[in-house]
Amino acid sequence: MMLSVENLEVKYGNIQALHGISFHVNAGEIVTLIGANGAGKTTSLYAIARLTPPEAPRVIGGDIRFQGRSILTTRPSDVVKQLKMALSPEGRRIFGNLTVMENLKLATFARDKDADLEREYERVFDLFPRLKERRHQRSESLSGGEQQMLAVGRALMTGCRLLLLDEPSMGLAPVLKYELFRKLKRLNEEGMTILLVEQNASLALNLAHRGYVLDTGTIVAEGTSAQLINNPEVKKAYLGG
Amino acid sequence: MLELIIQNAINALQWGSFYALIALGYTLVYGVLTLINFAHGDVFMVGAYIAFFVATFFLVSLGVPGWVVLALCVPLTMILTSLVGVTLERIAYRPLRNKGAHRLYVVITALMCGLILQHANLAIFGASRKAFPPLIQEHVYNVGGVSFTNLKVAVIVTAFLVFLILHWIVTRTRVGMAMRAISYDKFAVPLMGIPLDQIIVITFVLGSGFAGLAGLLFAMSYPVLEPYMGALIGWKAFIAAVVGGIGDIRGAFLGGFLLGAIEILVVAFFPSTLRDLIAFTVLLVILTFKPTGFFGVAKTTKI
Ligand SMILES: Nc1ncnc2c1ncn2[C@@H]1O[C@H](COP(=O)(O)OP(=O)(O)O)[C@@H](O)[C@H]1O
Ligand SMILES: [Mg+2]
Repeated sequence: MMLSVENLEVKYGNIQALHGISFHVNAGEIVTLIGANGAGKTTSLYAIARLTPPEAPRVIGGDIRFQGRSILTTRPSDVVKQLKMALSPEGRRIFGNLTVMENLKLATFARDKDADLEREYERVFDLFPRLKERRHQRSESLSGGEQQMLAVGRALMTGCRLLLLDEPSMGLAPVLKYELFRKLKRLNEEGMTILLVEQNASLALNLAHRGYVLDTGTIVAEGTSAQLINNPEVKKAYLGG
Repeated sequence: MLELIIQNAINALQWGSFYALIALGYTLVYGVLTLINFAHGDVFMVGAYIAFFVATFFLVSLGVPGWVVLALCVPLTMILTSLVGVTLERIAYRPLRNKGAHRLYVVITALMCGLILQHANLAIFGASRKAFPPLIQEHVYNVGGVSFTNLKVAVIVTAFLVFLILHWIVTRTRVGMAMRAISYDKFAVPLMGIPLDQIIVITFVLGSGFAGLAGLLFAMSYPVLEPYMGALIGWKAFIAAVVGGIGDIRGAFLGGFLLGAIEILVVAFFPSTLRDLIAFTVLLVILTFKPTGFFGVAKTTKI
């Protein structure tokens, strides 16, 4: 098991947002966490990325383990640097005052000196050719879809092995959504492990190997994608009948 | 007439250099933390004292030649002064930041830190002024009716060099990119594997290191040191940073030189007792028309 979340309970101030959830991600998998708005998906990713309050939650119970070791005391920058987990956050949160290239370069801050960065920029540009065309533009000026590509590309440039994606399809036109998801599939085939958070359940379950359904801070269903797609409750609540 | 203009321009550049070198520290820290580090003027004062002790030690106790002492003073003063700045950040600002304290409390803490530096100095070294020993022979040059000294030229050149170095750091290096990224979205920076505290420490090192350099140059130019010497000049440099557009290093230099120019101009035409009154009034008028300063934008997304 690469990542495992065990009976995790978290709070924002006095309000509990996760009530003892458990899930795991094996190396090489795409696992998805689906659920309605406010279910606690972003909260789960923030906790895994070890981001700090008040914007992120405080862990009050349970554990988060990476390759068996608890990471509750790990600093957020070390989650990236040492554990090689990278989060592409909800709302993209690219640095709009930096150029596309500067955003990508910044993500290599913690990389080893001997990393072959040129090849990795090429890999990102190969995956998202639009970024290459726009690499000298201030990233604020990118379209929503391009910003999303940058957010994913930036996460890749950290040299991650586990990619955490928070609603990468948000705000994208359908064509771009499918294009992005094809690229995620390709990344996974090249060896990247992915934990994907989505509101768009059918899109996510079509891509993922396994999934968990989150509802108001509790996991209410889990299984392989096929199992979840055929689960009548899930179908009714998340897949439009 | 032309000589008079050039003469005043040189004086304005030299005087403005001190403001610029101090203003950049306010602006760097503000850009990264949106904190107005009101102790910064006193960090400049501490820098001057550090330069004094380093200089006297090598010159008087060890009898090292003046130019060697100067060559030692520059790095030592910068390093030791940046340690003071980093210490303030470590023991005063970081704990508040980690507790999520409101900005108001951090600013008040900064004010108190400044007062502590002043009064610790007073308590330890007494009220008597210190005379900074001459390190280099001051030469007066006279070119076509314009007179300037090697020291004045050195001050101006240093300020411009510092600007170029900082501009390079902020625009070209990953640390500089991280500083700009923090000013845009602090929350997302750790996601890049960047420890926030490390960048903040580097910011304080740069700001206080250059304040130390300013302290050394100031002490060489006006060789009388006293514990309150950083207060007024610190306030002025802060205002210069605001007028230039706080958070932007170009603004710190523009504001610093502008304030220098205004003061020199006022003294050229009015009794010198009017200097600060008129200078502050002019700056106030500028801010009324451009509240965010020359390089400032309404949102705080800049260094
Ligand atoms: N910073 C915060 N402070 C307080 N409550 C929050 C914060 N962020 C999220 N919440 C609450 O936590 C719950 C889960 O939110 P979130 O994880 O953002 O849901 P999702 O990503 O599944 O839409 C919601 O009830 C939300 O209102
Ligand atoms: Mg969310």
